[in-house]
Amino acid sequence: MTRNRVILLVEDNPNDVELTLRAFEKSSLDKEIVVVRDGEQAIHYLFSTGPHAGRDPALMPEVVLLDMKLPKLDGLGVLRRMRADERTKRLPVVMLTSSREENDVASSYDLGANSFVRKPVAFGEFVDAARHLGVYWLTMNEPPPG
Amino acid sequence: MKQRILIVDDSLTVRMDLDEAFESAGFANTLCSTLSEARGALSKNSFDLIILDVLLPDGDGTEFLKEIRTSLSISGTPVMLLSSEAEVKDRIRGLNRGADDYVGKPYDQSYVVARARELLRKKEQPDGLAKSKTVLVIDDSPTFREELACVLKSSGYAVITAGTGEDGLRAAVDARPAVIVVDGVLPGIDGSTVIKRIRADAVLRTTPCILLTGSEERTGELRALEAGADAYVRKEEHTQVILARVTAVLRSSGARSAVGSTASLLGPKRILTVDDSLTYLHEVAGTLRDEGYDVIPARSGEEALELLAVQTVDCILLDLVMPGLSGQETCRRIKGTAAWRDIPLIMHTALEEQDAMIEGINAGADDYIAKSSDLEVLRARVRAQLRRKQFEDENRNIREQLLQKELEITVANSARELAETRAVFVEELERKNSELEAFSYSVSHDLRAPLRSIDGFSQLLLEDCGGKLDSKGQDYLRRVCESAQRMSEIIDDLLLLSRVSSAELKRDLVNLESIAGAAFEELKKKEPDRQVELCVAGELLAEADSRLMWVAFDNLLGNAWKFTAKVAGARIELGVEQKSEGRVFFIRDNGAGFDMSYAERLFRPFQRLHTESDFPGTGIGLATVHRIIDRHGGRIWAEGMVGQGATFYFTIPTAKRGGAM
Repeated sequence: MTRNRVILLVEDNPNDVELTLRAFEKSSLDKEIVVVRDGEQAIHYLFSTGPHAGRDPALMPEVVLLDMKLPKLDGLGVLRRMRADERTKRLPVVMLTSSREENDVASSYDLGANSFVRKPVAFGEFVDAARHLGVYWLTMNEPPPG
Repeated sequence: MKQRILIVDDSLTVRMDLDEAFESAGFANTLCSTLSEARGALSKNSFDLIILDVLLPDGDGTEFLKEIRTSLSISGTPVMLLSSEAEVKDRIRGLNRGADDYVGKPYDQSYVVARARELLRKKEQPDGLAKSKTVLVIDDSPTFREELACVLKSSGYAVITAGTGEDGLRAAVDARPAVIVVDGVLPGIDGSTVIKRIRADAVLRTTPCILLTGSEERTGELRALEAGADAYVRKEEHTQVILARVTAVLRSSGARSAVGSTASLLGPKRILTVDDSLTYLHEVAGTLRDEGYDVIPARSGEEALELLAVQTVDCILLDLVMPGLSGQETCRRIKGTAAWRDIPLIMHTALEEQDAMIEGINAGADDYIAKSSDLEVLRARVRAQLRRKQFEDENRNIREQLLQKELEITVANSARELAETRAVFVEELERKNSELEAFSYSVSHDLRAPLRSIDGFSQLLLEDCGGKLDSKGQDYLRRVCESAQRMSEIIDDLLLLSRVSSAELKRDLVNLESIAGAAFEELKKKEPDRQVELCVAGELLAEADSRLMWVAFDNLLGNAWKFTAKVAGARIELGVEQKSEGRVFFIRDNGAGFDMSYAERLFRPFQRLHTESDFPGTGIGLATVHRIIDRHGGRIWAEGMVGQGATFYFTIPTAKRGGAM
């Protein structure tokens, strides 16, 4: 897989989108963040269908930041679909959510999530988290073979 | 081991006769002719049963009985008095002195042995439960009995043996075996007859029987089935085959149960004869004793009633015309007493008149017989009455069993209803719980998102436009952020409180010291600059949920940590004290303390005794600790004084097995 430095952010809350983008902006990493607003859009994007039909399906994001609570198809649903498909079954997925429910954590890992991060309320901590995530998944982590 | 019997009688004939009878019945006997010999024997050995004559050369047997009953070591030994002084007053005296039974002389050998067995059984099984795995082996060959007994015993069965069919039946009545193995060919009554008699007896009829047949008998199986046997085995087969059949028969009859209270028709019977004529009494007693009954002669109606008060009988023969209490009145009183009502009562009278018969029957007699009748008729009537009683008992038992079954069904029904009601409650509870969980989830998720926006955008506002704000504006924005942080903490604490309430309680033996130690290390990590000493004393083991106890200590130590922030030489003590209500754990600090008049409010959510600026907190921590201790069935309370530190006490009772939800 080519290192295109694309992060797919699946998040429906516009405030959270804005804050996440700002947090990543501060990390001063070379990256591109693609935002989709619900689970269905995420699937369309990943498999180049629907509104994303023109996208090159060979170009996969390096990591997907996936909110648990999403309209239409929820985070776990998206994860399940990704893991069931050859093209995305190894794609790194970070669950990024407000919840710290044990059930959520457990089912995320059961379905094959690579990481589970709880969004901190304090913006300062959120910025730290975003920087760590970016550094880890875009530079330290060795991507799965394409 | 053989059961030991002490026989005390001055007559050599009686001693020899009883020795022979008990020895062949499998007992070990010690014979004494005087009381002093008996005292010597009792001081050297212990006995399972004492058979005691009343008139002895060196004293009175009933006085000796008093000695036995007041001696600590042997007071519980059953004693059977055996005496020619068998008139009603003697019997009453003996039984009142604590005799377990009173048998008159002349006696029937097998009757005495049967009564002895019954007394020993009562002693062994005071609750009246039948032995469940006893096998009775009836065979005339001692070698074969020995061999089979050995095989059965090695498989865990208790074994009793008998050499004749008659002995076997008596032993069956006494021991109520779980299964009977009987040889087809026996001296006296044969094996088939034994089984037929067993089948005709209310108590024993359900006992499985295995018939052993000779090799020459080609119709063995047919004979066995005709007799009512449950199985048959050819005698030349290995004893292991018999063992296998015993086990199989017991397995298939597992559901059967013997009727408990019915006296067996084959068991020893006691008959009370009441007559003012001594000659007639002797005559009747003689003929009935020949039948194997124990006969109690009573000279009047009064004597009869006195005797019945101390000794039960199986049948009463009552003279109609007597001085004092008349036969009619005696009969009326017997039949009017609940405990005696069911004893068969035969009136006998010299008057050959119809009136007399009618009077007798009217008074409640079960039968009547003319004195002029042949004694053979008397014997037949007694037998008939005993049999009738047997059938009545049997019917009563059947009725009681039906009633019992109905009762069981009713109990089962109400148990089912209870279970159904319970199931509804449990379902309701589960629904409420899942509602609560859904609520907690949405609180956790949905309340936090706007807080994040409040904090995040305030921060961004400070960053992006901070230059355009004066110091007051910047201060306001910082306050907005602080409030968001605080609300986030409250949400976390509330979630913890609700989780603590609904989490499943998993109790193990845990060491509170190590839990407290771990929680303390976490506190040190957060504020490494502070110097706080933790002292632990005593054995801090408790049956508790380690995760919940971690939360409790996190809060309690957190409080102690927090409230000692402003004192020099901060110190937290953890220990246990033995108080009237059991082991009481405590956590003591030398911090800010609190005003005892507000002690009650400590454990209520959102109640705070200190200002936020002095000591920050959400006011939910102690409510959570209270809930945790409460869930363990314990109690928590606090003592303190302003500026003198605080002590929190709590108990964790040992879990009640099976009772906790």
